[in-house]
Order: sequence, then structure tokens, then C-alpha cells
Amino acid sequence: MAKSPLDGIRVADFCWAWAGPYGALQLAHLGAEVIRIESNTRMCPSRQIPPWAENERGINRAGYFNQYNQGKRSLTLDLKKPEGLTLAKQLIAKSDIVIENFAAGIMDKMGLGYEVLRAVKPDIIMISLSGYGATGPEKGYVSYGPPQVALSGMSSLTGYQDGPPRQAGFSYGDPNGGVHGTFAVMCALLHRAKTGEGQYIDLSQREACVMLLPEALMDYAMNGTQPSRSGNRDPYMAPHGVFRCRGEDRWVSIAVRNDDEWRRMCKVMGRAEQATDPRFAVLAARKENEDALEQTVTAWTQERSADEVTRSLQQVGIAAYPSLDGKDMLANPHVTARGFFVELEHPEVGKRRHLGIPWKMSRTPCEVRRPAPCLGQDTEYVLEEILGLNHAEIASLKKREVLA
Amino acid sequence: MPGGALAGFRIVECGDMVAAAYAAKLMADMGAEVIKIENTTGGDSARQRGPFPGKVPHPEKSGLFLYLNTNKRGITLSLEDQRGQDIFQRLITQADLLIHNVHPTRMPSLGLDYERLARLNRGLVMTSITPFGLSGPHKDYQATDLTLWNAGGLCYLNGGGPGSEHLPPLKAFGQQAGFQAGVHAAVASLGALFARLSDGLGQHIDFSIQECLMAISEFASIMPTYADQVVVRFTGNKAIRPLDIMECKDGWIYLCCVEEHQWQGFVDIMDNPEWAAEPLFATRLDRAQNWDALQLFLEPWVKEQSVEELYHKAQARRIPFAPVSTMGDLLNSEHLKARGFFAEIAHPQAGTFPYPTAPSQFSTTPWTLRRPAPCLGQHNAEVYGELGLSLEEVENLKKQGVI
Repeated sequence: MAKSPLDGIRVADFCWAWAGPYGALQLAHLGAEVIRIESNTRMCPSRQIPPWAENERGINRAGYFNQYNQGKRSLTLDLKKPEGLTLAKQLIAKSDIVIENFAAGIMDKMGLGYEVLRAVKPDIIMISLSGYGATGPEKGYVSYGPPQVALSGMSSLTGYQDGPPRQAGFSYGDPNGGVHGTFAVMCALLHRAKTGEGQYIDLSQREACVMLLPEALMDYAMNGTQPSRSGNRDPYMAPHGVFRCRGEDRWVSIAVRNDDEWRRMCKVMGRAEQATDPRFAVLAARKENEDALEQTVTAWTQERSADEVTRSLQQVGIAAYPSLDGKDMLANPHVTARGFFVELEHPEVGKRRHLGIPWKMSRTPCEVRRPAPCLGQDTEYVLEEILGLNHAEIASLKKREVLA
Repeated sequence: MPGGALAGFRIVECGDMVAAAYAAKLMADMGAEVIKIENTTGGDSARQRGPFPGKVPHPEKSGLFLYLNTNKRGITLSLEDQRGQDIFQRLITQADLLIHNVHPTRMPSLGLDYERLARLNRGLVMTSITPFGLSGPHKDYQATDLTLWNAGGLCYLNGGGPGSEHLPPLKAFGQQAGFQAGVHAAVASLGALFARLSDGLGQHIDFSIQECLMAISEFASIMPTYADQVVVRFTGNKAIRPLDIMECKDGWIYLCCVEEHQWQGFVDIMDNPEWAAEPLFATRLDRAQNWDALQLFLEPWVKEQSVEELYHKAQARRIPFAPVSTMGDLLNSEHLKARGFFAEIAHPQAGTFPYPTAPSQFSTTPWTLRRPAPCLGQHNAEVYGELGLSLEEVENLKKQGVI
């Protein structure tokens, strides 16, 4: 098998829920050996939320966990027992990266703060992902993914015209914080390769989300004003929206980038005369009369399927695509042809269609090597193969419930 | 050694708008030497999109461009021109990474051909960020941020809800497809640079923005696979509540009670009103099922509160409420100030403004500012000089419209 970029890199993964696991997932995608340190007593929330396969509740049957923990291993340890903590440190001594997303300060309280880890492994790279970051007056505040969208400022900008602030995604701050964390870890790995130095990285998920709002932030910084919520519209393009199609709750997105594209679209709609209609001929006019413009477009789209609208507009080079729901996504012929989906045999839920890796490398291929782990399935592997314990030692640890 | 985790890496960026520019910005801010190539017909189109100081358009004053291009050097070069290609190849010979978001239909005419470039530099990593990837039936489809947000299944998750069922799926503010593509592609690119350490060989990365967005689509793909259901607009469908934005007297707040103790704490803050003891609201699932009724009790109370007070009161009880921050709230936040999240950056033409710095704080290799975003062609003389072109040659090429 061809080597993956991070072959030989080991990650001790103390993450739970979503932000951290999504960040660690990227490291697994790149070929790192990611070992989740879990426990039976403080189980990852994503093992405990529906949907479960066939609606049958089970810690290894949760879709959410099984999507975002592909390619990882699972070790169970009771970190409240001194021996459990010692084993965790032994694993860290044989790891390159430690990743965690507890609230700020929790790892210190557990006896696994950066200074402790550095004593165990001098060049360790440790990253903490928290809502507010590890410093500052609100550092101890609790933060979940959904409210982070509001906290970051994104909700105040997202919404229909004249409507209230809205959610973007559901827990958008989580994957965004996670992947920015992976970026930081990759920087630290390259720095370590060059200098031999490890380091500690403090990532605030809120700040990672604020990074995504420059148009609005710079508007406030420059002019003291904040852009008003404007639905799906764009100041430089019209029509620019999501339009009703034939069928129940079916929609297509269309973005017309210039006057020439608008003329082409009029032709496609069979309304060539509209291209010269002074209300719509140039961008400024279309923005001025955008309600009427959108009615015209909807009159055309609502008689057609989203696929049909997409095909006919793409034929003349206009950006359009159906607004995919989950089922559409999983049936999408394009990403299917590209081999995006992963379908591996999982011991409890069998083969399911999971989302894969959004990049393809020509020389060091990245692939999902194993389905998400059942709880504790790799405990013996880690203790034997990585920490060098023998069967008797492992049996004794089991008996004393250190591996729970 | 000059600071920065990525000091010493040489990156060539052919970026327009967000995706490639954000990836290269993240790397430049961590110390990489980024040369951004802009076209000779006005440059990056982000220069034409605001915001602008005083709302007056000016290609050197776009807030979006200024933010996306900190710490880079900028040159202008016509890649369509053969002489431009010769110079481009010289740049590539010295580069570790070429990152671009040129549409697949335009890649050949700009010389963005990995096989050919790899013959010049076997160590080159080339990352092609494209809307739908470089293979498959939709590879040549046109796209914008809006259509990609829909193609990735994210738009369908938002908008609508009670009272606005007739309204379409709702996009998130700004250029979110571009930002997600940028940070994910930066991760993949650094992965390939890490792989190169062992044998010095580069490779080509085919990065699909659509797949990147699908990968963060939360419950969207999981519900059909595991429960044969489709997620329709989170706004109206939640298993647990309150998980909602509500209006206060001076702004908006996000109410979040996931755990029982969080709800009990909130009831306590409200002075234990009688209605809260109704069996209708007994568990988090009940509260979601009877949200219409609960909302009627909550709204008038919340409307009387101040955002800041309710936020801090809730947090004191470990309830994860959050303000719906405005841009002003962010720029004036004592917490963000204490963390040094914003930094004043002076630009010779646009002026001095606070910018967000970096999404992470590094103990050994912190974010540093070496230069503000480049003016159009600002580093032509410097960069072309480094490539061995004489001032006269540069002058000639300028006259011929190549640079």
C-alpha cells in the first residue's frame, strides 16, 4: 500500500462531541494513527444521540459518531484511576500530537496539562480547542457549537431581509474550529520537523469563526456600519438566489454574474424580450427591481425540476445547482462517480454510505482505512503493540477496572 | 531563523476571491513566503468587492482583499502570454507549493498543467481547488459561493421554519464555501508538504469544494443513511429546546439548554415562574414538542432583559447562552482584546484598521505581521529582480502588457 502523508504519526485524541473529533478526523484522513481515549463512564455525547442504525439504540450504532470518527481507533481508560492516568501518559510519550476539546482548564485538572505532557514527551505538540480560548476574562465560559454561530457574529449577518438573525448550519462553529485546529497542528508538525521543537496551541472556536466574516468586520472597522441581513442576495450579482422548483420543497440555486449571462438566461427561459426590459437590462436596474426579477425567475423555475433548470443553465455557462437535501447528496451522480463515498463493513451497523475525503492526492493517496471504532475495540492493540504490556498485565488492569 | 512555523516555504498563489487566497493567507500568516500572481486586467476580483472606506470603491481599499492577502507579496503577470508563461515557469522552479482556484476549463490556457510543471520541479506540490473537482460529470459546471453552498447540502439545512415555510433555503452570510475550501485545502497542502520531507517528491491535489461542504453537512447525510429520514431546516425541527435565538430589549440572545441542570438554572434566573412547573415542559424533549407554548411564555420575559446581563447570569450557572454578537460587539469585546485577537494594520493606501489576526495562538511560533496586503503589482520589480530579470526587461514586459 502506498504511504499516506502522515504515516507513522500518532495522535492521542482526548476529544469528544464534534469540533475536536472533526479536527482529528482530518489527521486520520492524512494517514495518522489516531487513538481516541474514551471511557464507559464519561462517554462521548455523539455515541448517545440519534439517529441509530434501524432506530436501535446502541453506543456503536450512532450515525453521528460513525461519520466523524472514521479511520480512528478506540482505547478505553478510566482516567480517574492513577493507573489509567499513567497509561495515558505512556501513550502520550509514544505520540506526536495530543488533541483535546474540553472546556479550558479541564486537562490541567485531570493532570494532563501541557507542562506535564512536555515532561513526558519534550517535543509533543498539544492543541486545545475550546469555545473561548485558554485566556481572557471569559475563558471558563461554557460553549456549545450551535450558540457559537451566534457568538461569532455570523447569526447577526445571516437571515432574510427584515427578518430576525438566523442560524447558519446547525453547529457550524464545530467543524470550522476542528479544521482550523488541524491546520495549526500541521504547521506545528512542519516546524517540529525543521527544529525538533514541539509546542502548545490554544484555539478558540469563536475566533476561528470570526475569521470567516471579513466583509462585515472590515465594514464596521472602516465605516462603523454592519451589513444588513439580505437573505440569499448579493450586492454584485442578480438574480442571485434559491428558487422554487416543481415538486415538494424542491429548490434550485442560481447566480447570474453579469449582464451578458442575464441575456443568455433570458434566452434559455424563452423570454428573449426581457433581456432588453429596462427594469432588468443592467445590474443596477436588476438590483433596483429585484423582487420583480425574482418573480420572473420563479415563474420559470417552478414549472421545472431543479435538475432540468440546472442542466439548461449550465449548458450556457450559468452557475446553477439544485439545493441538495441529504438524500440527494447521497445519490448525487457526480460525487459518486468521483468515489467520494466510503462504504466499509462495520461490525454492528454493516455497510453504510459515509462521506469521505474531499481531496485526492496523486502520489500519497489518502483513504479511510477503517470504519469508526466500537467503544474500546483497540484497547488490547494499544496496550500490547504500542505500550508493550503482556497478557497478564492487561488481564490485571481489566480486573481492577482501569480499562473501563 | 525568521519566525513562523512555515518560514522557508515558498508558495505561489493564483487565487481569485476567497478559496485559494484564504489558504495562502493562513500559510503566509504562519511565516510562508507567498507570492500572489494577479492578472494584468485589474487583478483579483476581490479588489472590486467591498467593503470600502467611505463606501467608495477603490481597488487598493477593499476590506475583503486587504484581509485575505496579509503577509503576501503581489505581482501582476499575464499567464495567457508565452513570455508570461516563461516567467511563471521560473517561479515554479523555485516553489514548494502552487495553489490556485482557477476553473478547470481555464486551467490549460493558463499553463496550470501539473505534469508539465512537475518536469520543471519534481518537488512541486500543486493544489487545484475547483468547484466540483477535476473529474466526474459536473467537473466543468460553473459555480459561485451560493450555488456551492447548495451543491454541498448546507443551504437546505437553514431558513424556512414556522411562519416562513414559503421562504427558500437560506445561505450563511458571506463567502462560506470559499473559506471552508480554503482552510481544508490548506490542510491537504501541508499534508503533501509533510509527505515530501521523506523523499523530496511533490504531487497534485485535486480538491473539490462541493465534497468539502458535504463533509461538514452535520446530520444531513447521516439521517438518510441511519434513519431513512431527511433533515429539513433545523429552524423548525429540533429534538431538544430551547436551542433558539430570541429578542431581548437591546439585541438578541441564543438560548441553549441541553442538559437538565441548564434548564433548571434558567428557570431559577426567571424567578421560578409557575408555568415552568407544567408537565408540558418537564423534559428537554417535552420542551421541544411543546415549543409553541413554551415560546409564548419565554418571549415576553426575554424581551425585558438586557443581552449582556442575561448572558453573564446564565454563564455564572454554567448555562451556555451566547449573545448574538454584532461586529461592534466583537471589535469592542474585552475578552477578544485581552487575547489580542485583533491587530491594527496600516496599509499605505487604505489606512489603518483593526483586522482579525489568527484562529490559533502558538506558544513557539506566534502570528506575526510582516507586511499588509500588496497593492496591485507592488512587488513586480523585487520579485522579477530575484528571478534575474533586469530593470530594462521588466520595463519592456510592462510595455508589452505581460506584467
